Amino acid sequence: MVELEFVIGDPRVCTGCMICVNVCSMRFFKTISPARSRARVLRIEPALDFPLFCRNCEDAPCIDACPEGAIRRTKKGTVIISEAKCTGTGDCVEACPYAAIKINPDTGKAIKCIQCGECVSRCPVDALQITTREKLQETDPDGEILSLHDEHADILYGKEETP
Amino acid sequence: MKGVGGEILWIDLTEQEIDARPIEESMVRKFLLGAGFLSKVLFDHIPADADPLSSENVLGIATGLLTGSMFPQASRHLVAALSPLTGIWGESHAAGFWGPELKMAGYDAIIFKGISPEPVYLNIRDDDVALVDAKNIWGKDVFETDELLHKRHGKKCRILSIGPAGENLVRFAAIMNDRDRASARSGLGAVMGSKKVKAISVRGTGKIDVADPDNYLKEMDRFHKRMLDNPFTPERAKYGTTNLVEMMQEIGRLPSYNFRQGVFDEYEKISGQKIYDEHLVKARADWCCLQRCGRVTTVREGPYKYTGGAPEFETQSSLGSRCGNDNVESVLFGHHLANKYGMDTISLGGTISWAMEAWDEGLLTEEDTEGIDLSWGNAEAIIELTKMIAHREGFGDLLAEGSAKAAEEIGRGTEKFVMAVKKQEIAGQEPRAQKSMGLAAATAARGADHLYAFPVLDEAGFDDEIRERFGEEYLPEMTDRLNPKYKGIMVKECEDYMVVVESVGLCKYGTQIPPEFYYPAVSKAIQIHNGIELSEKQLKEIGERIVNINRLFNAMRGITRKDDSLPKRLTQQAAPTGPSKGQTVELDDMLEEYYEERGWNLESGLPTKETLRRLSLEEEMKRTGLW
Ligand code: SF4
Ligand code: SF4
Ligand code: SF4
Repeated sequence: MVELEFVIGDPRVCTGCMICVNVCSMRFFKTISPARSRARVLRIEPALDFPLFCRNCEDAPCIDACPEGAIRRTKKGTVIISEAKCTGTGDCVEACPYAAIKINPDTGKAIKCIQCGECVSRCPVDALQITTREKLQETDPDGEILSLHDEHADILYGKEETP
Repeated sequence: MKGVGGEILWIDLTEQEIDARPIEESMVRKFLLGAGFLSKVLFDHIPADADPLSSENVLGIATGLLTGSMFPQASRHLVAALSPLTGIWGESHAAGFWGPELKMAGYDAIIFKGISPEPVYLNIRDDDVALVDAKNIWGKDVFETDELLHKRHGKKCRILSIGPAGENLVRFAAIMNDRDRASARSGLGAVMGSKKVKAISVRGTGKIDVADPDNYLKEMDRFHKRMLDNPFTPERAKYGTTNLVEMMQEIGRLPSYNFRQGVFDEYEKISGQKIYDEHLVKARADWCCLQRCGRVTTVREGPYKYTGGAPEFETQSSLGSRCGNDNVESVLFGHHLANKYGMDTISLGGTISWAMEAWDEGLLTEEDTEGIDLSWGNAEAIIELTKMIAHREGFGDLLAEGSAKAAEEIGRGTEKFVMAVKKQEIAGQEPRAQKSMGLAAATAARGADHLYAFPVLDEAGFDDEIRERFGEEYLPEMTDRLNPKYKGIMVKECEDYMVVVESVGLCKYGTQIPPEFYYPAVSKAIQIHNGIELSEKQLKEIGERIVNINRLFNAMRGITRKDDSLPKRLTQQAAPTGPSKGQTVELDDMLEEYYEERGWNLESGLPTKETLRRLSLEEEMKRTGLW
């Protein structure tokens, strides 16, 4: 089986500048818009800044949740959403445990990080890495990055959006 | 026009009416957005005899043309009104995420007129814009307000607010955003307080479409690379502005003991290195910022315990050396409190240090201070007064007026110790050690100010940039910070450029120190982001126009050459010690050169008819009734 890659950031190093978010919306949708980016950044006071991405889950609940069969895994292991098939039901948004999918308000279709690496290379403080579960154990042997994510899971992955 | 929100919100608080009007490209071509736009709008809408805290004052908040773009540090918005501290032009700027969010919601600026009958906050969620009852928030501090509004409107909204200082009309109250970012100077928090507007919550799910999407990332990458490769960037990221303490001490430019001198023997105790070693938690950045001067710091225990955003060099100077205070924990905590209550730390420390010197001279006693000992360096008193000023309690009520008004009220010769220009306290630059800063403080439109011109090119020997921006013929005098020669020319040019920077929403870090980006970069950015062609020459003219309309605004309120002055201490008493020992500020010589360069009358210090005509400000000139 292929190694599943995903992007993850260190909330202690990330400054919260949003460059990654804007790089993504510009690259894919030719506009500056956090609401149209496959990445997001969430600041947690007093001193953490979380850049957040699809984790490329092994079990990928988003795939199962899609009633249109629009989500699949490529040979390289990337979970992708077919624009042609997606009808914007939002079931995947509900199913994703990492709040990593959103509906692009212009197209009405679901979008998520596809691990292209564009933002990783442009982060001015090298807070981001494209990695796998195994590789991450080498680059972050104490598991601090994941445990900080876990610790703040409620806020990071909460889907409530007060009107 | 691309790269903008597209509309201006006009809000009549008295009538509780909201009106969204499109921005006009003709106005942008003449004044840009941000500082220039507000300069024109406020000139047009505030009556000459208006009281700053009355319903006649107009409070404007505007983003720049490039705010929300991907240009390095394009995060800023600007606030302006008639200042309750100075009675003249008041403006203040801040970084953060609030400005870009406003653009995402579809707006470039908000103009408040009138006074709301009850406390309100403005809630913006894309097209939904409403004034909301703020009874339950009024009285809360900045951090509480931030939390409450996030709870109410979701974690993604961005909050701008005033704290108790603004509500209590402290004359140097700030407008805060994103918790720790401050539009601090000019006391505009008090204007917002007088209008009974507690906060503005913004959530924008829209987008900023740019003029050249195909080349955008490539071009912005180049700008990012330039910024990252600049030798100043790693230093700035490591220390923020805090290590300016060490640099300023070295050249004798660190105001100490209320500007008695420019060196502080205990400087190491409040230095950038000390804060880096013992208190720094992390560096933070605002929208698309590669400099990351934002700090999260902590004091782990004791009476000054906190964790949060702070400090900035200005506070190390104002609450530290300027008050003879070497207790760094109190400096950090004082900054934290000023953020929490929403106050300008420069005028705060400037006012306290005025009182400390008056105390030292025996002109203020325990009878005035209700028992507070104002000896130099009394950290406890500084913290106590910070709280009392924000709440206008006891002696704090007097200090909340700022040093100039407080001295007027107390008299007894305390006026001598007011280190202000046009009633605003001078920032952390000892002008006797850098003459250009003295001139800049004297001429700045908002009263004493280091940022209106921010003439730092002679501070750290940017010879190459001076060559590029001015020409070989001005060297070596222009780079010599103790030589008054050519400083009039330098300050004029710096003012013009800095108001352009404030009008496009960029940061002075990157445009002035380090001086990485100059007109050609700004012009290029406007082209690919907004799709407007504005040459270097055109931008320079716009800058000059903005400075001149600010001057007209002030002229209508009685400002002339006599007000472009500095405290006598700086022009007549030689610096007593340190590297600039023996120096005074040769203000008159520099002023003559400055007026000459500006095309202003040497006697009145006001623009000549020809100058105003050349800048297409004739109509405005007529309206002042002075020409
Ligand atoms: S670009 Fe880097 S520092 Fe900036 S928000 Fe993204 S991860 Fe954080
Ligand atoms: S979108 Fe969500 S559920 Fe699907 S793979 Fe990514 S993180 Fe997992
Ligand atoms: S890796 Fe690519 S798709 Fe994923 S967030 Fe970054 S730029 Fe967007």
